[in-house]
Amino acid sequence: MAVMSQAIANVKSPADTIKRFDIHQILQHIGLMTSFILLVVTGLPIKFSGAGVSQWWTQVWGGVEVIRSVHHFTAWIIVFVCLYHVGYLFYNLAVLKKPFPVKMVPGTQDFKKLIQEFRYFIGLSREKPKFDRFNWKEKFDYWAIFWGMPVMAGSGFILMYPVFVTKFLPGWIVPAALIAHSDEAMLALTWIFMVHIFFNHFAPGVFPLNTSIFTGRVSRERYEKDHPLEYEEIMGYKEEEEAPETASPELK
Amino acid sequence: MPQKEGKMKLLLAVLAASVIVFGIVLLINSEATLALDEQGCLVCHSNPKLEKTDENGQKISLYVSESAVNTGAHRYIDCTTCHTTAPHEVDTPLTKLSLAEKCGSCHEYEYKLHLDSVHGQQLIQGNPDVATCVDCHSSDSNPHSVIRVLEYNAPAYKKNIAQTCASCHDDQDLMADYGIVEKVYESYMRSFHGKAMALGTYELTELDTATCTNCHGVHDIQDPNEPSSPVAGLENLAVTCEQCHPGAGVQFAASFLGHEEASPENIPAAHYTEIIFTTLLTVVLSFGGIVVIAAMVRFSINRWRE
Repeated sequence: MAVMSQAIANVKSPADTIKRFDIHQILQHIGLMTSFILLVVTGLPIKFSGAGVSQWWTQVWGGVEVIRSVHHFTAWIIVFVCLYHVGYLFYNLAVLKKPFPVKMVPGTQDFKKLIQEFRYFIGLSREKPKFDRFNWKEKFDYWAIFWGMPVMAGSGFILMYPVFVTKFLPGWIVPAALIAHSDEAMLALTWIFMVHIFFNHFAPGVFPLNTSIFTGRVSRERYEKDHPLEYEEIMGYKEEEEAPETASPELK
Repeated sequence: MPQKEGKMKLLLAVLAASVIVFGIVLLINSEATLALDEQGCLVCHSNPKLEKTDENGQKISLYVSESAVNTGAHRYIDCTTCHTTAPHEVDTPLTKLSLAEKCGSCHEYEYKLHLDSVHGQQLIQGNPDVATCVDCHSSDSNPHSVIRVLEYNAPAYKKNIAQTCASCHDDQDLMADYGIVEKVYESYMRSFHGKAMALGTYELTELDTATCTNCHGVHDIQDPNEPSSPVAGLENLAVTCEQCHPGAGVQFAASFLGHEEASPENIPAAHYTEIIFTTLLTVVLSFGGIVVIAAMVRFSINRWRE
C-alpha cells in the first residue's frame, strides 16, 4: 500500500518525478496489454478444447462462435496497436526529426549486464549491474514483439482465411501456421506471466505494480536505482546547463 | 342457514377428495408412455430372467427391457411387425445380417446404401465385426432400444457421432485387422472440427461443424481408398471440403494432415515447424524460468537479511 500511495503521490507532485513515457507509449502499452489478455482468454479454450474448464468458459462467452469471433476481432485490434507504434516511431523520426532511439538497440552491453545480474542473483557477485534507460529484460520484451507479432499475425491470418490463402499458397502452410500460432502463443503468454509479471509486480520496490508505464512518470529515487546510468546523464546535464533535446528522457 | 353451511362443507369435502384422486391418477400416469403391445408380449418378456435353451445347450435371454421399448423410436409399432404373427416359430437369434434385413424391410433406401457400403459389404460376407443398423442407432446394439437420431442421447446424434464411430475405430487391435493404423478419433478431436464439437453444447445451433459422417458418408460409408469415396484423393476431398467451405480448392484439401501427425513423410513443413518451435520454447522458457527462480531466491535472501 505504501508503494501504491507513493506512486500516486509521485503523479501529484511531478517535481520529484522524471517523465519516462509519453502518452502514445502509455496508450500503446494499454492497448497491447488489453488485447493480449483478451486473445489469451479466448485462445486458450480453443487450444485446450478437451478440458472441461474450456467447455465451461466457452459457454460463459456464449459459445464457440462467439469466442472465435472475439479472438478474430481482438487480433485486428492488436495488429492496429502494433501499427500505431510503428507509425509513431516513423512520425517521430521522419516528421518531428527526433533522434533515433538508440537506447532501445540491443548490444553486447546487454549480454554482459545479463550475466552480471545473474551472478548477482546467485550470489557470485555483490554488485548489481547499472542499467541505462532500458534494462535487458525491457529490451527483450520490446524486441520479442517484433518477432512475435509477425509470427502471430501471419499465422493467424492463414488460420482465419484458409480458403483464401490456399488459393495462392500451398496447402502445407495451414498446418504449419497452426503449430507456429499455437506454440508462439504459449511462448508469449508463459514469458509474460512468468518473467514480465514477476519483475514488474513482485520484484522489491515495485510491488504490487510498477506504475511507470501507466502514469508515464517515475520517482527520482526509483529512477536512480533502476536506471542509474540514464539518471546520471539527466542530472549531469541539468547541473551544467539546460538539457539538450537528445538527452531528454521523454524520447526513446 | 344451517342447511347452507352443510352444503358448503359437502362441496369442500368433494373438492378435497377430487384433488387427492386426481393427484394419485397423475402420479400413476407419470410413468413413461407405454409402447404398443397388442399381443401382450411384454407380460412374459419383460421378465429379466426369461430365457430359453437352444439345441446346443446354450442359454439365450428372451428379456425385452420395457423402459427401452417405451422410449424407443418404434414404440408405436407392434412387436409382431418385426417378430411376425407367429414369433415363437421363428428361428432366433437373428444374425447381424438378418437383423439389418429386418430394418431394411421398412427402411429400404438406407438398407440398400448400407449393403453397398464398406460395412455392408463385409456384413454380406458374414463378418461379425462390422457395424450394422443397431450398432450406430442404439446405445447397446439392441434393436429394442433404437432411438430417434434427433434425441440428444442418440448415438447417431451429431454431437455423439465421433464417439459412436470411436467405439470401434478407436480400438487399435480391432482396427489393425483392417490395416487402419491412424488414430482417427484422437486426430479428429485435435482438428478444428473436433475442437468446435468439443466446445459446443448439444444444441443444434452449436453443432455446425463437421464430424466423421460429413466427410466419409453416412449409410454409404466407403473405404477411403476406394476411388468413389468422398475422401479418396485430393480432388474428391476438395469437393467434400467445398460443401462447407465455399471456394475450397485442391490446395485447401492438401492442408489436411489426414488423421495422422505431421512427420517427415506427412507434410514435412509442419513437422519441421514443430521442431523449430519446440526448441525455441524450451530454450527461451528455460532461460526465463532460471532467471526468475534465481531472482526469487536473491530477493528472499535480501529480505531475510534486512
